[in-house]
Amino acid sequence: MGADAMQPGRSFIGYLRLLGVFARFSLTREMAFRGNFVMKVLLELVWLMILLVFYQTLFRGVDSISGWDRYSFLFFLGCYYTLEGVVETLFLENFVEFSDLVRSGNLDLHLLKPIDEQFLLSFRLVDWSTVPKLFIGAGMMVISVLQLGHPVGALNIVCFLGTFIAGVSMAYSFLLILSSTAIWMVRNQSLMELWWLFSTLMRYPRDIYNVTWAWPIRIVFSFVLPALLVVSVPAEVIGRATMNPWWICWMGISALLSFVLSRWIFIRSIACYRSASS
Amino acid sequence: MSAGPTSLLGLSNPSSPWLLSLVKYFNIFKVSLIERLTYRADFLLGTFLRMLPLVTTLLLWRAVYATKDEISGYTFRQVVAYLLLVHVSRMFSSMPGLASGIARDVRDGNLKRYLIQPLDLMAYLLAYRVAHKVAYIVTSLPLYSVIFWLFWGFFEWPDAPRLYVAYFAALVMSFLLGFAFEASLGMLGFWFLEISSFLYLVNTVNFFVSGHFLPLDLLDPWVAGVLKVLPMQYMAYFPAALIMGKAGDWESIVLGLGIEAIWCLVFFSVARLGYLAGLRRYSGYGG
Repeated sequence: MGADAMQPGRSFIGYLRLLGVFARFSLTREMAFRGNFVMKVLLELVWLMILLVFYQTLFRGVDSISGWDRYSFLFFLGCYYTLEGVVETLFLENFVEFSDLVRSGNLDLHLLKPIDEQFLLSFRLVDWSTVPKLFIGAGMMVISVLQLGHPVGALNIVCFLGTFIAGVSMAYSFLLILSSTAIWMVRNQSLMELWWLFSTLMRYPRDIYNVTWAWPIRIVFSFVLPALLVVSVPAEVIGRATMNPWWICWMGISALLSFVLSRWIFIRSIACYRSASS
Repeated sequence: MSAGPTSLLGLSNPSSPWLLSLVKYFNIFKVSLIERLTYRADFLLGTFLRMLPLVTTLLLWRAVYATKDEISGYTFRQVVAYLLLVHVSRMFSSMPGLASGIARDVRDGNLKRYLIQPLDLMAYLLAYRVAHKVAYIVTSLPLYSVIFWLFWGFFEWPDAPRLYVAYFAALVMSFLLGFAFEASLGMLGFWFLEISSFLYLVNTVNFFVSGHFLPLDLLDPWVAGVLKVLPMQYMAYFPAALIMGKAGDWESIVLGLGIEAIWCLVFFSVARLGYLAGLRRYSGYGG
């Protein structure tokens, strides 16, 4: 079915147009429950406040943390917040729903649609309540860039954009792998728990793992399951003006490998789907 | 269930209604415990994963303390000890799904069973939660024992036995306060159709203001001052600070326990009054 989807009629432009339709449909759905939407936006603002108070508290007593000063750390936080915003806006709700579709047996209906299953299941819902995070995160990054002690050139910006997109792609692949396992483990309550684990590793600069006993964590989560790179590498490119070509290349390779692996696991898991429902 | 509550417990001749009532709630406790232990693997995986954020947080604080020995009266070792002790507090006080469960029962009409059966909603839920807490604490014990053993040197345990008694009392009351607080929120379900977003918001705020995130003393003094007036601090900060010797002298501890008890009473009363007022609005649709 996946191969059929790649017909001339369903070109890249066609998929982009579908994405627009999904976004419009999700917005209409959100607007039907405006109170709930406002509450969700409020919740995001509360999280932001907690994040900023935490940041402020960390820097109350010290000038720098593992080589990250006040403004470079703010850039890191802005980068993390934006990336989280992208993942939550585009993917997270879809993957949570994916587990439910498997559990309830309602996945059948989606598998019958004449488009790529992975595309449909990954982008069907757009969470508009997390869109403000993109702007707030970008705002945090702009404020910190204006205060940073070093110049930020065009090459930094290009490398940042490239590694940021690679980071989003890695986060997406990881979520896809996690939710594909929902087909084998029907009672998969730990999906969000595992995502929480993954995003915990992204939340702080990877330099804090420079402790002897934490080296195994650093190695595993840089090379096997590269969660530590997702935010750290793009944030280092501008926040600390560190342009290490090896890390930037490895980031691109791991993004590509994780995507291919996640696609493979997804297709295998769909083949195992038995449509068991009540 | 065809067997009566007394025969389930092996008691064939209950001597008083009081005993019968006790047996009834003991059986609820027993059934809930069996239910909780059904999904052991899922449960253990969840517990294990919850430890990873702890590791990253410890590494972050280690990096913060790399150039300083003490910040706002706390050394690195004390912050680590606090963050571990706060897990113990939350083990007692967190009540996942309690408020949303009450609101769901109101919405889909299942609340009727408490009205037509000789069962009190609050007493039933309390027995159910005690079972869940016992299961949670028992199954998490091996993991927490290992973690506490690893960080044993980070703790400065007090000598006075009365502090341990006070700590235990603070933990038990934090369980009761957490229960009554969540139950009070759940009663909002009588007035509003959907409260899940609101509950999520309250829990998020609670996570921070209760001191689960970091010791309240590290915050700006005026922020810490405000947060220490709120009841939420008893669900995480207060028990941990008490056993660490950060809650002041004995008089302050007794005062703190007294205030915690008052908050428990306040929230139990709010939940009960909310329930009674809610029942007057309740129409029992669905179910």
